[in-house]
Amino acid sequence: MRKHKLLWSSLFLLFQLHLFAQTRTITGKISDANGKPIPGASILIKNSRTGTSSGPDGSFSLNLPATAKTLVVSAVGLSSQEIEIGDRTSFSIVMTARDNTLSEVVVTSLGITRDKRSLGYATQNLKADQLADKGQVNLVNAMEGKVAGVNITGASGGAGASVNINIRGITSFTRSNQPLFVVDGVVISNDVDRTNGGPNGTLGDQQPANRALDLDVNNIEAINILKGPAAAALYGSRAAAGAVIITTKKGGVNGRSEIVASTSYSMQNMEGLPKVQNLYGQGSTGIYNPASGNSWGPKFGATPSIANGLLVGGQPVPYKAYPNNINEFFQTGTISDNYLSISGGDAKQNFILSGGYTAQTGILPNTSVDRVNIKFGGNTVFRNKIKVGGSANFFNTLQTGILDGNGASALAVIEGLARSIDLTTYRVKGTYQNLDGTNNWPIPNQDNPYYDAYKNPLKSNLYRIIGSVNAGFDATSWLNVNYRLGLDAYTDRRKQIFAISSARVPGGQDLESDIYRSELNGDLIITAHKNDFLVKDLNITGLVGQNINQRRFQVVTAQADALSIPGYYQINNGTNFAVGTAEQTTVQRLLGYYGQISLDWKDFLYLEATGRADESSTLSKSKSTYFYPSVNATFIFTDAFHIDSKILTYGKLRANISRVGTDAPPYQLANTFVKGSYGNNVANFTFPDGAIAGFTLSSTIAPNLLTPEFVTSYEIGTNMGFWNNRASLDATVYNTISTSQIFSVGIPPSTGFTTKTVNAGKMTNKGVELTLSVEPISTRNIRWDIVGNFTKNVNKVISIYPGITSFSVPGSAFIGSIPTIKVGQPYGVIVGGLIPRDSTTGARLINSGTGVYATTIANQILANPNPDYILGVSNTFHYKTLSLGFTFNFIKGGQILSFTAASYKSRGAYVETGKDRDKPWILPGEILTNGKYTQNNIQIPAQTYWQTLGGLQSEFNVYDATVFRLQDITLGYDLPASVAKNLKINYIRLSVFANNVFHVAPNAFFDPELNTQGAGNIRGLDLQGTPNARTVGASLKVSF
Amino acid sequence: MKRSLINRYRIIRLAILLLFAGMLLGSCKKYLDVNTSPNAPTVVPPSVLLPTTEIGIAFANGNDLDRATSAIMQQIAGVANQTQGYDVYNFSGAFDNQWNGELYGGSINNCVALIDMDSATSPAYSGIAKLEMAYAFSMLTDVWGDVPYSQAGQGNKYLYPRFDKVQDIYQGNSSLGIQSLFDLVNSGLADLAKPGALKPGKDDIIYGGDLTKWARMGNTLLLKFAIMLTNVNPTMAKSVISGVISGNNFINSNALDFEVPFGTSSSNQNPIYNFNYVNRSGDQMLSSRFLALEQSLNDTLRLARFFTKPNGVFVGFNNGSNAPAPTQATRSQYGTYLIAPAGNPTALGAAPIRLLTNFQVNFILAEAALTLGTPGDPNQLYQAGITTSMQKVGMAASDITAYFAANPTVVTLGGTQQQMLQQIITQKYIAWCGNGIEVFDDYRRTGYPVLALPLNPGGDDPSVIPTRLPYTNGELSTNPNAPNPRPLVDVKLWWAK
Repeated sequence: MRKHKLLWSSLFLLFQLHLFAQTRTITGKISDANGKPIPGASILIKNSRTGTSSGPDGSFSLNLPATAKTLVVSAVGLSSQEIEIGDRTSFSIVMTARDNTLSEVVVTSLGITRDKRSLGYATQNLKADQLADKGQVNLVNAMEGKVAGVNITGASGGAGASVNINIRGITSFTRSNQPLFVVDGVVISNDVDRTNGGPNGTLGDQQPANRALDLDVNNIEAINILKGPAAAALYGSRAAAGAVIITTKKGGVNGRSEIVASTSYSMQNMEGLPKVQNLYGQGSTGIYNPASGNSWGPKFGATPSIANGLLVGGQPVPYKAYPNNINEFFQTGTISDNYLSISGGDAKQNFILSGGYTAQTGILPNTSVDRVNIKFGGNTVFRNKIKVGGSANFFNTLQTGILDGNGASALAVIEGLARSIDLTTYRVKGTYQNLDGTNNWPIPNQDNPYYDAYKNPLKSNLYRIIGSVNAGFDATSWLNVNYRLGLDAYTDRRKQIFAISSARVPGGQDLESDIYRSELNGDLIITAHKNDFLVKDLNITGLVGQNINQRRFQVVTAQADALSIPGYYQINNGTNFAVGTAEQTTVQRLLGYYGQISLDWKDFLYLEATGRADESSTLSKSKSTYFYPSVNATFIFTDAFHIDSKILTYGKLRANISRVGTDAPPYQLANTFVKGSYGNNVANFTFPDGAIAGFTLSSTIAPNLLTPEFVTSYEIGTNMGFWNNRASLDATVYNTISTSQIFSVGIPPSTGFTTKTVNAGKMTNKGVELTLSVEPISTRNIRWDIVGNFTKNVNKVISIYPGITSFSVPGSAFIGSIPTIKVGQPYGVIVGGLIPRDSTTGARLINSGTGVYATTIANQILANPNPDYILGVSNTFHYKTLSLGFTFNFIKGGQILSFTAASYKSRGAYVETGKDRDKPWILPGEILTNGKYTQNNIQIPAQTYWQTLGGLQSEFNVYDATVFRLQDITLGYDLPASVAKNLKINYIRLSVFANNVFHVAPNAFFDPELNTQGAGNIRGLDLQGTPNARTVGASLKVSF
Repeated sequence: MKRSLINRYRIIRLAILLLFAGMLLGSCKKYLDVNTSPNAPTVVPPSVLLPTTEIGIAFANGNDLDRATSAIMQQIAGVANQTQGYDVYNFSGAFDNQWNGELYGGSINNCVALIDMDSATSPAYSGIAKLEMAYAFSMLTDVWGDVPYSQAGQGNKYLYPRFDKVQDIYQGNSSLGIQSLFDLVNSGLADLAKPGALKPGKDDIIYGGDLTKWARMGNTLLLKFAIMLTNVNPTMAKSVISGVISGNNFINSNALDFEVPFGTSSSNQNPIYNFNYVNRSGDQMLSSRFLALEQSLNDTLRLARFFTKPNGVFVGFNNGSNAPAPTQATRSQYGTYLIAPAGNPTALGAAPIRLLTNFQVNFILAEAALTLGTPGDPNQLYQAGITTSMQKVGMAASDITAYFAANPTVVTLGGTQQQMLQQIITQKYIAWCGNGIEVFDDYRRTGYPVLALPLNPGGDDPSVIPTRLPYTNGELSTNPNAPNPRPLVDVKLWWAK
């Protein structure tokens, strides 16, 4: 106790001393040659640790100790300056660009910071202000349209729905193609953990989050995207799909404490649903039927008669349109986001404590995300030799979702809802359930959508810790030893309930699922650096390292079916526990050894080589160690040839070749038996049969030998700066070849097995990435920045396995529209049935008996979800302290199979289906009779016509997903520095923003940028998911 | 002095670090030895595989194949979803689950595993597995025609199984190394007779480990296979049937029927109940054509066991009709016989799936006596078939007697041999209600009962009732030995009429 007192009083003394030592205050403003303010510049007193950094308007103020004589001013990409203080109290400092450079310090593999000019591969950096204040809860969403070479697609506008991210296309047949996410050097999980939504399995779940959702966007300082295998080579196998390197905010380096507080509030609305007709209501063939989910009934206003079903027992039935019955199911979502951070210290000793709380209610009833984020981090230096740092991040994310997907889900009922159903009454009066708590809905085998929303939710409660410690030691002036240990671990407790009488699970269900995932990484890195190595101007940096990695996963699920007591959701309320109750545990480990040599000749020629050997627990023993190298070179020709042109300020060429190996998922090497079960969602059986156990051979045959997957990549690129870097171009072309893929190839089911694990196959990705930045206006008060990102990736499956030309992408899909890996095609084409055609005219064939299309031919390509190219353009205008930024995103091509569209058409809800109902319709096509084709002239009713075009898996529901979108728009205002200073604050920033502002999809009558299955290798399927959402909000950020 | 101290510390620090790294590397071997799955066993006893195969053949028989064939055979009519498609011969995307996960995977592959297990200690399991496998293969070849048989279900051994011809599956082909279904059954019967230490008990959910009943099942299976050959190899048919009759060890009472029991628990229900009452209650109902047939035969008491009679009336639906279906509450759906076990009408979902029955044996023997001249009186056997069927559905003895008394022309064979055959097969068709595959087999073999096309037929050939089902997409897309293009559904099988 006394010890503590002593400690506190000495700490107190320290502060006192610190205060007493300050004698006077200076202020100043830092700007560039054009008078544009430079924020974030460092102002240090020479030979001390005291200093500050400039605010957003370039201004700073600093308390000087009496001994201070000189200021050192530095900023990224600009020449450092030393300024004598003398007696001045006010400074106006103009900084100039470093000669002929386009310099930027970025964080690369393993947390190594590098000057971007030396890199022989493509990376792209995003700063905090490009991500924050956009109303995005999910960090990955916030990146959309802002990075070349990256394809980002959200699952939907549902609260917490996952977001898919692929960098430079898909490089692995069956493994995750999501990039590696690294936060402050710690590899973290961005996995999507699915929970079965009743008998439809993961086809009917509630769009679970990708786990990057847990990260607080406010906490992010910068993101560097390592695009190709070369960039990520030192990360090894984990980063074969690229890496997203996230740097969070650190304790201040300005020698002062800082408090940053921000708050924002946004509102969300559903966006992108099809237009509906309001002329016809429930029924079929023009006859009213209150139990019908379709709008093929009589016209509103028709005279009630027994024949049209509107006269029952001599009384007319109430029958009218409810034009907004679909839209009103969706509610206004809200997002409230609050953040507070306290930081302090200087370059050597610093800390940060931050907390964030985000509360979102979704656009669907009973959907929400609540997220708490607490971080503590600190760094210190002992005796000027040993740097020790660490951080602990704690997360708690709660998500409540309702079911998506074809069938009985709320979304499936809502999308194309019959026009004469008054949905609102059910909500307002609570009559979506009967007095006994059962489902109240006139249509059989469906739930009242409110019933589904309120009575059948899936809840997730996740606790997560991401922690790291690192210790670095400068053994000599040229040798540094560093060790970093990082851990990411979370437990996600899920609870899915189905009330008794729910359409999907009429007996009721309570499912409890605990998902545990952890990853531990330890890296020992020894770095040596020598200038003027062997000859003058040749600098060399060498690195050797060792990595130890362990990944654990466990999911334990207890599922109680056939509940006894309504409204009581405990496992002990069940009478059957045979289905779903299961446990799965995996552990995989890896040891890696790596090295890198970087040579730098006169700051214009760089050469680098890396090599890594991994030893994995998951491969066949004889092949468990594998080596892969990379080499890259950079040549800054403007410096080499002393090009001093007004037009070409800076020019760099870069090239690399790299190879990355990947190990297998665990437990692939032995044939196993699993618990027996039969059937699917329409009829099923699961052992045990009473008390009798039943096991069956697993449907996969183990491989004879399992060796690593390899990705080999060739990349060349250039960075060029023009007109004093007012314009710059970053261009890359690449060719990536994936070989020796580890996957379960589909084999003939008549073998008794459906798949066999093999090493085979070849797939290529060829692409172009362009980033063009232009600053058309740059004056003292006005600045305009444009950044355009262009992405084109062409994927092609070259071969699969001898004798196999296609197999389905693992995951859940409906037979008849299966995402498939098919030789000669791009990855993930959706395979189903196509209507046969007249080979000469190409016209579709009509069944002469029915007047509708002939039976489809199976195993044809229905849709290709891969876009032709993606173009994102961000604009930022600054006028004094006012800024306006917006991002356009244009996705050209790619196709989507939309069950939503099918549903609107076949159910007679889509606006077009209300036209010319009374007239006969003829499907375009030809009839084949006696070997001759004749034009179809068979008249069919409108209902038959639209239901033919509205078959769920029909080619008529494949739409071109081309979409132009105003992705986000942000208007920001910084209080002028003079005012802020009077208020004794660093800065105040006020923003209003909107995202997903509007879209134009020329070839689809709905928003085609959806993917019900969310993040993963299955793309281009809208299986009646949540529509997109538009967000509008405002935020306030203050720094003290 | 001070300087050297610092250096020493530095060396000590480095040494500690290297030691740490060394320890990590030293423990590598064990560290990486973690690839044995804790999730799934690699070895299991036969007692946990046998139940899987038994439920497997029953599930395959009573699930989607039954719905499709029962719709084609117009006992039920589809009103929504897939069954509605089957009614008008739209089979696209269907039957992969049956082919992949119920027959070749589930039944046959696990039977192969049972046979491969030490047959010296468990010949009983091996024998049962061979009989079950013969049943499973007969479903495959009867429905699809040429199918993988001699090379099927053996995993890595034959990665691209050959499609064996129907005639080779039934008759064998020694030059191709194909054992006939008859020989497969005989080999199973031989295994059953061998002494063995390991015998099934309650894990045999069909016969409780009673191998004598399995022997009867095997002999009855020979009858079922033999009668399929009436058009193509009557000599063989006659000799097999005569042999089985003289052996007199076949299913000859309802109590011996080969049927797979199910349970009432939601995960153990038979697929007919599970589909029609739990998951897809709105998809199918009684066919108005079957209703008309039964009414013309005054056979509505039996029909009331097959189908429900809401509000006291049967309500059927015409196959292929585009008209709106009657409201669900008024539809006739599968009744007691198909959803609950005999004598326990409240045990919903626990009705067995009936695979080989006493009434079937009677009808087979009646037909064989009539057309092949095997021992027995056709009329007597015909009447035994009707009686045992009526007994099986639970009709009271007095009701059966009354039916026979009131309908002498129905229950007595008369007219030409063809007319008598029509009577036998029509009664067999009724008796088999709920097992669409059996009636589909008899229809294609004999042309009975006489059926008309549904309304709005489609599919490969809208002009005929399908004579086979299309191969599954999964097999077609992975097996280079699969016929390409697949035969259309109007191509007759080898044994068809």
